[in-house]
Amino acid sequence: MPRLQIPKLHPGWLLVAPFLILLAALYLGPILNIAWLSFTDPEPGLGNYEKLVTSDALARILWTTFRICLVTTAFSVTLGYCIAYAMIHAGQGGRSRMLVLLLVSFWLSVLVRTFAWLMLLGNHGLVNDTLVGTGIITRPIAFMRNELGVLIGMVHYMIPYAVLPLLASMQTMDSRVIAASRNLGATGAQTFWRIYLPLTLPGVAAASMLIFILSLGFYVTPAVLGGGKVLMVAEYISVQLLVTLQWGTAAMLAVLLLLGVLALLWLMSRFMKLSVVFGGSTR
Amino acid sequence: MNDKGFMAETLRDGATAFTQGRLSRRGFLSLCAAAGFITPAVLAGDAQAAAEQVVMWNWGGQSEECHGRAIGDPFTAETGMPLRFDTSGPLQGKIKEMVQSGNVTADVCDADLFDAIALGPDGILEPIDYAIVSKDRTLPQYALEYGVSIILYGYAFVYDTEAYETAPTGWADFFDTEKFPGMRSLYKWANGSLEAALMADGVARDALYPIDMDRALARIKAIKDDTLYWGSGSEAHSMAVNGEVSMGMVWQNRGKNIEQDTDGRFKLVMNQALAMPGAYIVPKGNPAGRDAVMKFIATAQSVPAQLELLDCLGMTPSNPEAFSQIPEGQIPYAITSAPNIDKVAFNDPVWWGENSDMAVNAFLEAIS
Repeated sequence: MPRLQIPKLHPGWLLVAPFLILLAALYLGPILNIAWLSFTDPEPGLGNYEKLVTSDALARILWTTFRICLVTTAFSVTLGYCIAYAMIHAGQGGRSRMLVLLLVSFWLSVLVRTFAWLMLLGNHGLVNDTLVGTGIITRPIAFMRNELGVLIGMVHYMIPYAVLPLLASMQTMDSRVIAASRNLGATGAQTFWRIYLPLTLPGVAAASMLIFILSLGFYVTPAVLGGGKVLMVAEYISVQLLVTLQWGTAAMLAVLLLLGVLALLWLMSRFMKLSVVFGGSTR
Repeated sequence: MNDKGFMAETLRDGATAFTQGRLSRRGFLSLCAAAGFITPAVLAGDAQAAAEQVVMWNWGGQSEECHGRAIGDPFTAETGMPLRFDTSGPLQGKIKEMVQSGNVTADVCDADLFDAIALGPDGILEPIDYAIVSKDRTLPQYALEYGVSIILYGYAFVYDTEAYETAPTGWADFFDTEKFPGMRSLYKWANGSLEAALMADGVARDALYPIDMDRALARIKAIKDDTLYWGSGSEAHSMAVNGEVSMGMVWQNRGKNIEQDTDGRFKLVMNQALAMPGAYIVPKGNPAGRDAVMKFIATAQSVPAQLELLDCLGMTPSNPEAFSQIPEGQIPYAITSAPNIDKVAFNDPVWWGENSDMAVNAFLEAIS
């Protein structure tokens, strides 16, 4: 076998290189183009970015997006944590069954889930009709077509995304630590708060980041469940691109989203190794 | 298609040869790489071959079948060119992107007439050739340089007959939440909603334009807590049929379906409906060429085609020759039928073409 000519370069890179170059060309190119557009359309300058401070509407849309993403993240990760915790302690058979259930909901299209919520919690959905029918309430409760509806739909969609990294971090934890804690006289609650939770924090961080980033781009659920009144950035970008043809504004918002995500990743990397967060080894 | 088939076959042969050791690994990889590069070229070849057909870019659903029967069949019989569809929805941004990227795949877009105003002057559209297309076979104000109205659709509203003792009769009632309590729905992209608000505020049908945005938005904001907003016809439909709203703005042809689906519980009000010119516009450099697509548009203007579209889709004829031939069952729902034509307001595509970006954004700002 002839030796590789290039020194110190793992031969694996040669396999990956064509794809990396292709990615750079096909992926980076359009992104740079979008960034360029945000400075040049409709006229060169910072006009599009100026809107961030001058336009109340834009500020409100960004704030709505941020707020909804934050609440979604909080609920998804909390609920996801409970589910992952239950799965870890359910024994082999129980865990597989739960995983199947989780994955089935994971694979369902977002559109199907969104409309399922409408049928379940809509004004004349199963829940409201039952409540009204049994006389518990007289008028249907407005679960859907408002911000609450958007939150319910988004949290439901995001929970599997929260469970998977949490599960990974719980699985890799050394269970002897827990036994040691109990052995030293800590109560169950103490063990959880002082040992279990801190040790799974990287998983919590990973899940939170994943969900926050995914939520930022949410489009279908707010558009349908929000009843037109909950406008998030992704939908606004699509309107600017397709309906009002303000590509510069759309590009600016897209760049802003991208920078936000990158900033988030950077912030995380200051506190922990990203590879750990995504389930890699600490060593 | 043959080219693509050939490529696939070559690759399969290559793979067999490689596994049998007849082809070197490098040779096989180059073959794969070549296939990757060649495919776009092959596809471009396909597009070229497609010049012998007319591709209509529309919104899918039933419209594909209906356009095929109403316009496609007679057009094919006359010219031998088949009609094909791209049903992904010709939004302004997509049309602009298609023409600017130089990869024009559609010949005619089933769009709004205001799109012709917004896109035409920027060099995105072919001008309509009125030597082939007839100016007399549409309403006079709707034969524009870059687009011509083929059908009319309208924004009207339906109401729940069980919710109210007295029937609402116009937009003033629609916007009166005290006299007519309950949720209502409006169109999410401003169109029609602004005009309805102005008519509710007492503006006459023929004095709507230029739209007084402040006045319209104030009226819309006043009922915001009682309003849902829909973005697609099916959404508007389900909001009414599922009882989420007791009054809902709808496209008038949907109104007929809603009446049927609710066994008459919901009723359509055509008074003060806003007539919208649905139009055909032609992307610049369309593959089938100008003459073919103009002939296609002329076919769509014919009375039989217009009546077939009405029957099949509920879209109202815009060719005055067809007005008197609207069948009885469609008269209550058709915009240009004798009892309705004097009750409706006519949309001004020029104002919308010039102001839609401002109007849509101001509207979104007001409702979100």
